[in-house]
Amino acid sequence: METTPPNNITAIADELLEEAISSDKSIEVKNVTVSFKTAKGVYTAVKEIDLTVQKGEIITLIGHSGCGKSTLMGTISGMVKPTSGEVIANGKKVSAPGPDRGIVFQNYSLLPWLTVYKNIYVAVDSALKDKTAAEKTALVESNLKMVNLWEHKDKLPGQLSGGMKQRVAIARAFSINPKILLLDEPFGALDALTKSSMHVELLKLWNLDHREKTIVMVTHDIEEAIFLSDRVVVMNNGPAATIKEIVDVPLARPRNKKDIVHDPVYMTIHDKLLNLLIDKFSIDD
Amino acid sequence: MLSGQRERPGSYLQNIKQRMMKDFFSAKTALSVLYFVAGMVILGGIWALISKITKNEIPSPQATWLVFKEVMHNPMQNDPDYKGIGTKLFSSLGRVAIGFGLGSLLAIPLGLLMGSSKIAMNMVNPIVQILKPVSPLAWFPLGLAIFQDSPKASIFMIFICSLWPTLINAAFGASHIPQDHKNVSKAFGFSKFKYLTKILLPFSLPHIITGLRLSIGVAWMVIVAGEMLSGGQGLGYFVWEEGFNGGNIAKILVAIIIIGAVGSLLDRCFTWLQARFSYAI
Repeated sequence: METTPPNNITAIADELLEEAISSDKSIEVKNVTVSFKTAKGVYTAVKEIDLTVQKGEIITLIGHSGCGKSTLMGTISGMVKPTSGEVIANGKKVSAPGPDRGIVFQNYSLLPWLTVYKNIYVAVDSALKDKTAAEKTALVESNLKMVNLWEHKDKLPGQLSGGMKQRVAIARAFSINPKILLLDEPFGALDALTKSSMHVELLKLWNLDHREKTIVMVTHDIEEAIFLSDRVVVMNNGPAATIKEIVDVPLARPRNKKDIVHDPVYMTIHDKLLNLLIDKFSIDD
Repeated sequence: MLSGQRERPGSYLQNIKQRMMKDFFSAKTALSVLYFVAGMVILGGIWALISKITKNEIPSPQATWLVFKEVMHNPMQNDPDYKGIGTKLFSSLGRVAIGFGLGSLLAIPLGLLMGSSKIAMNMVNPIVQILKPVSPLAWFPLGLAIFQDSPKASIFMIFICSLWPTLINAAFGASHIPQDHKNVSKAFGFSKFKYLTKILLPFSLPHIITGLRLSIGVAWMVIVAGEMLSGGQGLGYFVWEEGFNGGNIAKILVAIIIIGAVGSLLDRCFTWLQARFSYAI
């Protein structure tokens, strides 16, 4: 007897569809609030945030200093525990940092007593315990070559420039091959020229990896946000910061740093972000 | 740990050699040598003056030099009835090494533990604060009572006194690990062992060495006092028995010069270690 009830079929179809859709979700931030206890009482950094990031998407969190963008990022990395709500990353609830999420810190956070090579090796060694020593060595080598630092592998971080240090930090994050890459104001301390080349380099790495990595980046640089991301998440000022608006960046990739600024779409987005972030554009006479 | 520096001993030594050659012939070195000599001449002058005022009660530099040469004759003599100055020096150094070594062996791990754990800090710190200001000499009779042996009592005294600077500095280092380094450990899931060997120890090492440098200074100061009390052995005995009781003040001065020179040499060793194990951030 092949009399499967038709309503059951649609239920199964719905379930499959649901699964297909949810598998494209890389990060889900669900109703997240983060409060800290301070001497002056409870301080709420971010309040009731909802945000979904698709697999392979690049998004930036932008806002003024202290608006809680780093805190929000921290809940994704697992460094910060949400007071309420939850974050799902790669289909699992985030409770602690894990090797499926690579982190690049603002101040590079390289260990100053280890060489460039060893800095990456200890990270790989810790995060990818199942790999053999030969596989780990190969990973370190290929990632260092990718950021063009192989010839500097025996230097200590103190002997490198800021841009080089950040490339080491990026290579370190890439070398554990995480599905999600979290960058907390990674280029904030770099000069404008170095910054520009780092943007191109980051996109190159993302491209080499078939654009499969999800990247979330915290920044307060509008040009950087537009050039890199698919969506720009603009945050309100804290305390109890929320998402003000999410701006789409429908510019075709690969993007050209020089040409993109003349693109009318770019200019519209740039103006929109400026308006969202800045109240006053000139002094009152 | 610090393997980056250790991996290139060849180039490191070469660098030092080059630097030394360059420095040796520079005007700056010549000038600092000149100042050093000038300082010594002034000190010698004051010494000679005091000697004159006290009517040679305090021997003159020349007289002391003669005694120095005599003391330095066959310094490694090691007969049961008489031991040369070198033998005495090494017996003192040996006791310092044992006391200081045992002290450091306890102080380093305990200090790191205190710096890493609030509970350990709250438990141990009050004890440290009470025991630290006790004069080294007060420990000597206690050591004597415990070990019934005066050389062992002076080792015990050095052990106790060389604990504190290392302990306090190790604890300071371990409790000041930057959040950045801790974040790296969290982000990449370092094991406890990896955290210890790749972050805690290397970060605390310069602090530990500073502590060791202070401790060896204290130990070297204390040994002379210890040997004066224990008698029979070492430089302290030399100062007391052959110098003071023997009525030979020149020998006391010779001993002071030797003690000072060896102490500054020990300090130099640890200064060198400090420079060797510091790193640029």
